[in-house]
Amino acid sequence: MSDFLYILENEVQIVAISFLAIVYVIRVIWLFRFRSQRERTFPAGSERSGILYSMMNIAMPWAMESTRKKPGFYVQFVVFHLGVAAAITATFIIPYWPQLFESRAYVVLFQIVVGAAFFVGVMRLYRRITNPAVRLISTADDYFSLILMTIYFAVAVWAIPNTYEKNEWPLILFFALTAIFLVYVPFSKIGHYLYYPFTRFFIGRTMGHRGVGQTKIRKTAGEGR
Amino acid sequence: MSKNSRRIKIDIEDVLNLPLETRSQEEAKEKKLLSVTEGQLKVYDANINNVDRFLELLSERVTRQLASSMVGCVHCGMCAESCHYVLARPDDPTMTPAYKADQIRKIFKRHMDWTGRIFPRWVHADTPKNDEDLNRLKNIVFGTCSACRRCTMNCPMGVDTALLIRLARGILTELGIVPEGVFNVSRDTWETGNQMGVSEEDYLETLDWMKEELQEELSDPDIDIPVDKEGCDFMYTINPREIKFDPRSIADAAKIFHFAGESWTMPSWGWDQTNFGLFSGDDRLGGFVAKNLYEAAVNLYAKRIIISECGHGYRSTRWEGYNWAEYNQNIPNESVILTLMRYIQEGRIKVDLSKNQEPVTFHDSCNVARSGDLVDEPRWILGRTCSDFREMSPNRTENFCCTGGSGLLSMAEYKPLRMEVAEIKAKQLKDTGAKLVCTICHNCVDGLTDVIKHYELDMKVVQIIELVANALVIDP
Repeated sequence: MSDFLYILENEVQIVAISFLAIVYVIRVIWLFRFRSQRERTFPAGSERSGILYSMMNIAMPWAMESTRKKPGFYVQFVVFHLGVAAAITATFIIPYWPQLFESRAYVVLFQIVVGAAFFVGVMRLYRRITNPAVRLISTADDYFSLILMTIYFAVAVWAIPNTYEKNEWPLILFFALTAIFLVYVPFSKIGHYLYYPFTRFFIGRTMGHRGVGQTKIRKTAGEGR
Repeated sequence: MSKNSRRIKIDIEDVLNLPLETRSQEEAKEKKLLSVTEGQLKVYDANINNVDRFLELLSERVTRQLASSMVGCVHCGMCAESCHYVLARPDDPTMTPAYKADQIRKIFKRHMDWTGRIFPRWVHADTPKNDEDLNRLKNIVFGTCSACRRCTMNCPMGVDTALLIRLARGILTELGIVPEGVFNVSRDTWETGNQMGVSEEDYLETLDWMKEELQEELSDPDIDIPVDKEGCDFMYTINPREIKFDPRSIADAAKIFHFAGESWTMPSWGWDQTNFGLFSGDDRLGGFVAKNLYEAAVNLYAKRIIISECGHGYRSTRWEGYNWAEYNQNIPNESVILTLMRYIQEGRIKVDLSKNQEPVTFHDSCNVARSGDLVDEPRWILGRTCSDFREMSPNRTENFCCTGGSGLLSMAEYKPLRMEVAEIKAKQLKDTGAKLVCTICHNCVDGLTDVIKHYELDMKVVQIIELVANALVIDP
């Protein structure tokens, strides 16, 4: 392995991930600088169960009409995010646990997951361009983030076998993209996973307190007909 | 329905370019109304820098909840098909909830978020340039969204678009850049303490009239609609619409309370449980109305507050009002639906479902189902008071808005668009095959009546109290 690739796989990634963490902390502090509202009313439900329900909502495709009616879209969502998780995991496996990718089974498994995510990325890009409503709301950041992720998946499929002795380029590209990705994330829509706990917490707390939907504390004998 | 499917779609630009009407605002200034001179009711002033003031108010009003909804949208477009505006106008991408929210989000991004400050074009960050831009924003947030929160419930990220719409409405209200109807209702509320400008004399006379009608109907001179009676079990609060257009609902409630042996009263001040502050986004107005009501209950030593059937009134009085008024809840507070349910459960009133034989369906009010907690209770009552109950689909937290929510009933200029997108509601109603559509919201009564009339449906709107009063078994 060349020194360049070694530094790219290790020091550069550590710097990039540290940058990401610092910017995230600043971002969270920024969010906390906005005042929070609290409920001054007697509750009709449980805030805790509301928050829990809201956080878990993403794993319950039947809970929302938008995912229930579009199971294919939900499957795409799952595959895409599994692909993200697999690709990021690979960035740790390659430098710190390379033995794992000596197993052909693991390599193929990761390649299948990330490869599927690549196809979803292409589908999502096609949808973003061809669906008038989605196109109208799409920003340059939305396109760039999606293209970046889709290319990242393609490169990850190529890099996962970790055959630097034959050709270092897939790994150089993969880790260079990872570093760019880590630095860009907090300024882009890709950082939405940082906000997910906040938006879900707030909506869940409000709905839980007010007993909306599944979160209600049953106080009376009458539950439906 | 066929008649309307042939209808030409409204050009959305005609709606978005509707001018700012200020006739009522000018009149209010000329008359030197107290609410104007004391600065409670804001009027439009073309001579100040409204854009700067808008930005100032935006930075003051964004809470953590709002900020997270500002930054949380990933533009996935999943909200689109949850919105009845989109479903009725599938070829109009400007109806997408995320697009509407982006009109306020882009200003937040340009002035308060880092990427938007540095690279505005990269993330569609932008700023309003003049009052025309603010007027266009007014037409989007007041005219193309009923703040029903259906998109909120369908957002995978939990972005509360309705909350963002209300934020924009509230800021525009502070600048007087509002539809004339919104100004008029706000004016009446500030001036009279209720949103329909009902005078105390009219209010008390109507209650007296209803009392006399009841005494005559039941041949019982003891039946009463008490006012300002201290120490009762509850204080009953109503929608001014009941005084103006539907006093029978007060009589029905009084009749049921009488047979339940209830100790109750109505206040002479602070009786309006509705709250236009919810619609206009004006927390000051919301707090004023809510505090009047909460203090009336305290002054009358009432043990609880009962809210008559009204969706936004319930949401405002039960939930939002305390927050707007910064008033910690000190007295229990419930919808009359729960009161009726308790009477039936405890055997305090007897009902006979064979007295309501027409097929009835139930319309969940957005403010009660998606921003409140009552979905099973009205159905429980309907199951005991109506012999043919039919669910509409979708229902409960997934029901579609009556189309008149968020104050749209008071904004005549947006009615053509509202009626166009009501196609979704009309189909939903028609598919039930019911003759009666029951709702626990006065606003929905008017919204649904408009839909029924426009789409020529063979239906009538009723409320639970009417059905319960009709099903009452009165022992001789």
